[in-house]
Amino acid sequence: MTFAERMLRIDRRIIFLVIGLCTLVPLLFPVGLPIKISSEVRGVYDYIEGLPEGSVFLLSLDFDPASKPELYPQAIAILRHAFKKNLRVVAMTLWVSGTGLADQILTQTAKEAGKENGKDYVFLGWSPGGSAVILNMGQDLYNAFPADYGGKATKGLPVLAGVQNLRDVTYAVSLGAGNPGVEAWYVFGKDKYKFELGDGCTGVIAPGLYPLLRSGQINGLIGGLRGAAEYETLIGQKGKAVAGMDAQSATHLAIIVLVAICNIFYFSLRRQQRRQDGMGS
Amino acid sequence: MIFLRRQLPLLITMITGLVMAAQYYVPHPASEQLLTTVTKWLQIIGGFALVLGITSLFHVHAAKIRRKEAGWAYSLVLYVGMLGTIIVGLWNNGKESIDGALTSFGWVYSYTLVPLQGTMFAILAFFIASAAYRSFRARSREAAVLLVAAVIVMMGRVPLGEYILPLSGDLSSWILNVLNASVRRAILIGVSLGAVALSFKIIFGVERSYLGGGKE
Repeated sequence: MTFAERMLRIDRRIIFLVIGLCTLVPLLFPVGLPIKISSEVRGVYDYIEGLPEGSVFLLSLDFDPASKPELYPQAIAILRHAFKKNLRVVAMTLWVSGTGLADQILTQTAKEAGKENGKDYVFLGWSPGGSAVILNMGQDLYNAFPADYGGKATKGLPVLAGVQNLRDVTYAVSLGAGNPGVEAWYVFGKDKYKFELGDGCTGVIAPGLYPLLRSGQINGLIGGLRGAAEYETLIGQKGKAVAGMDAQSATHLAIIVLVAICNIFYFSLRRQQRRQDGMGS
Repeated sequence: MIFLRRQLPLLITMITGLVMAAQYYVPHPASEQLLTTVTKWLQIIGGFALVLGITSLFHVHAAKIRRKEAGWAYSLVLYVGMLGTIIVGLWNNGKESIDGALTSFGWVYSYTLVPLQGTMFAILAFFIASAAYRSFRARSREAAVLLVAAVIVMMGRVPLGEYILPLSGDLSSWILNVLNASVRRAILIGVSLGAVALSFKIIFGVERSYLGGGKE
């Protein structure tokens, strides 16, 4: 076996070790490279920034703990911004396994901002039906969620004063890790009930949402950890996303180097084989 | 019997399909009320679907344990985990926290489900790196184009990449906003047209596989 062949069949544990080190070392010794703000993330930020106090802001946390590393920092940053702007926050989830996480995120940020449950924000929790829930909320919010997550009747809550259905929502953001997520919110929500919609999602599904962004169906897109880091930079409160960007930088670079090495050995092996074939014939 | 098994479901599907398609274009209060009622029903059916799914899962794994099939111990773990979570969940009225304090159900959620799902997702990074090393090779011109695009996007999406190659940020943005968006849009339009065609086929009874029982 030649050196190139040996390198192409390298033990995958070595690759695991490289990735592990590239994640761990920057977390222990952060560099803090500057983060450039993209127009996609700025779209969401500028819209929230421009909302008058008391506007109804709906945040749908459509993810489960598997996507926590990317979507948790996004949720925290958006909620901090919304609370800072004194918006009325209505939070919910379309993913049953994300209910506990969504509740933790909202309670933590509300406590930090000194906001009161029922007056400044409400967590509606989860209701079965996926996209049917959106339609039902569009028709009558109190029919879809007669009680909030804590079991308190939603009708009469000060935070929902003047809100009857999705038409009364000023801005909605879906933080999604799949289906149901932003596509359901657009098709069954924005398109029919005419509210402005923004999105946050995991890095892996972000490229699939660019058509919605380019056509104006969503007014902004926060993609993955990078998007969360950009949002944290915009609100001036650096958190887990900014801290994780160094690790992501190192990991990306490691994968690029690995792919380059693999291609160098691949081509050297191919040239060797061609030379041998030429000598044989 | 054939009327109840075949023709009646087809008739219900056809009437419901046509009514709900028409409903979208009629803003009359009666039409809106119909949508409110139907969506509430959809939510109720969604709840039953959840029960059906869990029952089916229990059946499948119970059979595995009974027959002592390969990996039956995993089914046992699933049983213990699910039953335990359901009992704790019912005990706490489905609440993970009350007034900010974790319930026992919340404890199960925060200290088992959250780290387990997080671990599963985190492992992906290692496998992706290993798979990229083994398979991301410029074997053809098309593969080379894909490889170059991937490297540019990977560089442009992280601060270090933009620091080393300042142009990568703008290039990556152009790839995502122009090349990627246009191709994705073409796929979306194709899929949507397919969905419209399939809906018509279901409404008018051409496509009947959803009734089960194969072709007659």
